[in-house]
Amino acid sequence: MTTLTLPSRREEAWRWSKLDALRALADQPHGTALIADDHFIGLGGPRLVFVDGVLDADRSTPGRVRVEPLDLATDHPLGKQATGPGWRLTLDTDQATDPIEIVHIATGGANHLPARITLGEDAAATIVETYVGAGWSNRLTQITLARSARLMRSVRMLQSSGFISHRDEAQVGEGASLVSIFLGAGGMDCRVDGALHCTGAAAYAEMGGALLTQGEQNQEAAVSLRHDALDGQSHQTWRAVAKDRSTASLAARVEVARGAQKTDGEQSLRGLLLDRTSTINLKPELEIFADDVKCAHGATVGELDRTALFYLTSRGIAPARAKALLTRAFVADALSRIGTEAVRDAFTADADRWLERAL
Amino acid sequence: MATRNAEALAAANKKYEWGFSTELEQEFAPKGLSEDTVRFISAKKGEPEWMLDWRLKAYRMWEGMTAPDWAKLNVPPIDYQDAYYYAEPKKKPTLKSLDELDPEIKRTYEKLGIPIEEQKVLAGVEGARKVAVDAVFDSVSVATTFRKELEEAGVIFLSISEAIKQHPALVRKWLGKVVPQRDNYFATLNSAVFSDGTFVYVPEGVRCPMELSTYFRINAENTGQFERTLIVADKGAYVSYLEGCTAPMRDENQLHAAVVELVALDDAEIKYSTVQNWYPGDENGKGGIYNFVTKRALCQGKNSKVSWTQVETGSAITWKYPSCVLSGENSVGEFYSVAVTNNRQQADTGTKMIHLGKNSRSTIVSKGISAGASDNTYRGLVRVGPTAENVRNFTQCDSLLLGDQCGAHTVPYIEVRNPSAQIEHEATTSKISDDQLFYAMSRGLDSEAAVALIVNGFAKEVLQQLPMEFAVEAQKLLGISLEGSVG
Repeated sequence: MTTLTLPSRREEAWRWSKLDALRALADQPHGTALIADDHFIGLGGPRLVFVDGVLDADRSTPGRVRVEPLDLATDHPLGKQATGPGWRLTLDTDQATDPIEIVHIATGGANHLPARITLGEDAAATIVETYVGAGWSNRLTQITLARSARLMRSVRMLQSSGFISHRDEAQVGEGASLVSIFLGAGGMDCRVDGALHCTGAAAYAEMGGALLTQGEQNQEAAVSLRHDALDGQSHQTWRAVAKDRSTASLAARVEVARGAQKTDGEQSLRGLLLDRTSTINLKPELEIFADDVKCAHGATVGELDRTALFYLTSRGIAPARAKALLTRAFVADALSRIGTEAVRDAFTADADRWLERAL
Repeated sequence: MATRNAEALAAANKKYEWGFSTELEQEFAPKGLSEDTVRFISAKKGEPEWMLDWRLKAYRMWEGMTAPDWAKLNVPPIDYQDAYYYAEPKKKPTLKSLDELDPEIKRTYEKLGIPIEEQKVLAGVEGARKVAVDAVFDSVSVATTFRKELEEAGVIFLSISEAIKQHPALVRKWLGKVVPQRDNYFATLNSAVFSDGTFVYVPEGVRCPMELSTYFRINAENTGQFERTLIVADKGAYVSYLEGCTAPMRDENQLHAAVVELVALDDAEIKYSTVQNWYPGDENGKGGIYNFVTKRALCQGKNSKVSWTQVETGSAITWKYPSCVLSGENSVGEFYSVAVTNNRQQADTGTKMIHLGKNSRSTIVSKGISAGASDNTYRGLVRVGPTAENVRNFTQCDSLLLGDQCGAHTVPYIEVRNPSAQIEHEATTSKISDDQLFYAMSRGLDSEAAVALIVNGFAKEVLQQLPMEFAVEAQKLLGISLEGSVG
């Protein structure tokens, strides 16, 4: 039996978590890998396939990405389990790379993979990650963006079962921009954990996405975004849709350190409940130590707007279709932040497929 | 119960300095907290056996509990064994005249516009009228008239000790029903050692003829650290209760752990207003009261309503979440709060709205104002149970920062298990803009008056929920609390 130390629900940051299954998953053996090709969007850049956290070199064209031993320090209880070899992307000043696609295939049991992304001044990268299969996929990704670097990350979690735990830790330098968008549209549980740190002046950070849950699923996002320098800007736009007996939880925090004046932080957390047995939990949190800042958050939970439903059906649209249209629009808010059109379309199509099944 | 240690003996044998001493006042509970202390308190109050058992049960629970640390507060360790849990109410030193009063306090009284006679009562001037404080509300009323009026209406308004003796069945039925003994560390402590407090029962169909206030209750003075309030509004009843005082209160007791329980049955309404201005400590955070209060209302009946309004300006540390359990159909919970922190004050305050009944509604309006090097946190929970259909909640929490050394935090929790619920939460953080200040000052206001004006505008939605007399004082209080925070 694996001795795994997991945080308890009595701890404030884990009160909505359901990690019980992880111990059992950690003890299960791996299975047979799936075909990966179906899961690439086809952006024409480097491709990597990880099967149970190990690079499948035959099916990968890594480009600038290196797989090597990584020693990443973290206090995060799940993130620190991700040790050993991982992938690393390092771009020097002014370098850019074609969009990198990574497919993580889990075949059962547990797999852990650390990652390190370092972008030099004015460097730019786009990374799309897709999770498929079954089992516990545990990731720790550390990101450092130098002055004016730009990173666009999109992560879709499509595993049919199991658990995905994602821990991101980022340092965003002066004028740099980090956008991370997550979509949970599979059959697994997940926890998306983020600690983004805007260390340079006029840094921009964004973390958001959509969590779609049904059955007995439990998905949650717990993100804290800290502004340490002047003129920072951040957005956290999250949408959650819960059906059956599932639970979706969104906890987003903005911290503004003393002296981080002129910060503009925005949070929008919205939940949509499709059944009376489902649960949505929201916690939009602000922690502010500077007086000249603009920080606002909005949070709502409810069902679809009956007036809008009535309007659509009065125009001859079938009720089920009307419901699907409105739900799609609700989710689209969070996915519209994805910069590359092909990626945005692929994510939207995944969300649509989930909605078609669910509604 | 005999005194048990040297310190207690010394204290007991000390001659009462102001020449007023009775047998009763020489008795102290032994220092520290034990079962014997609890038994002593119960015996001193002549309580029935069931009450003692209730206290002891709470004490045994408390022994196994640990103090909460999840709030965003920096609370120095409290030595619970280094305190007296029972002493007869301390008498304030008597002053010959108002001239002997600390000029700082006198100046505050004047700014608040407190009448001279009332100032004498607050300051403890010799010969001041005992029940003068009612002058604020009604210069004609005296104790006898309001008691008579209440009796005619059938309203029971007593200290909780008296109520335990006179209406044991009623107290026993409701005590601990809203805030159970095991609720939290401080509530459990209070359940074991509560010294006194208020009991109000408004019978079916009665609209309480006046605003009730601890001001009015003669023996309400110095109810001590562990106050317990229980208000029950029977079917169709209405009562408005005012707690606290806008005048600065200095108190030797550092820890205040009060419990307030409200019960509203069918169609009943309770309005509970608080103005809290306990001693916040000096500019460097030395001294000051720790105000750890558990306040909760049970809207048990159909169409019941509870409205909490609070203006919190005092205390070094505030830990307080007046809450509503909305279990009745169509029940309504409201929470209006202004919390001001200055210098080194810390406040972690907010509300919980637990929706269990169909069509229950709640409104939360919280205004936090931080100045100096203080920290002000709004922490709230809105929970909707699976069977609570058509719940509506609206939450607005706004923070205003005065200065760059303070902090304003918002920690709202939303937990919804019914799709018919409509929950909205908005929050903003801002500062007083230079334009606003310039405009107000160009009209002839000095900087402090300008800030007070703007802050009052910011808090207007809450202040207008207060009974009028309180509202006027509270407005002045906001200005005074923020003195020295700008300019």
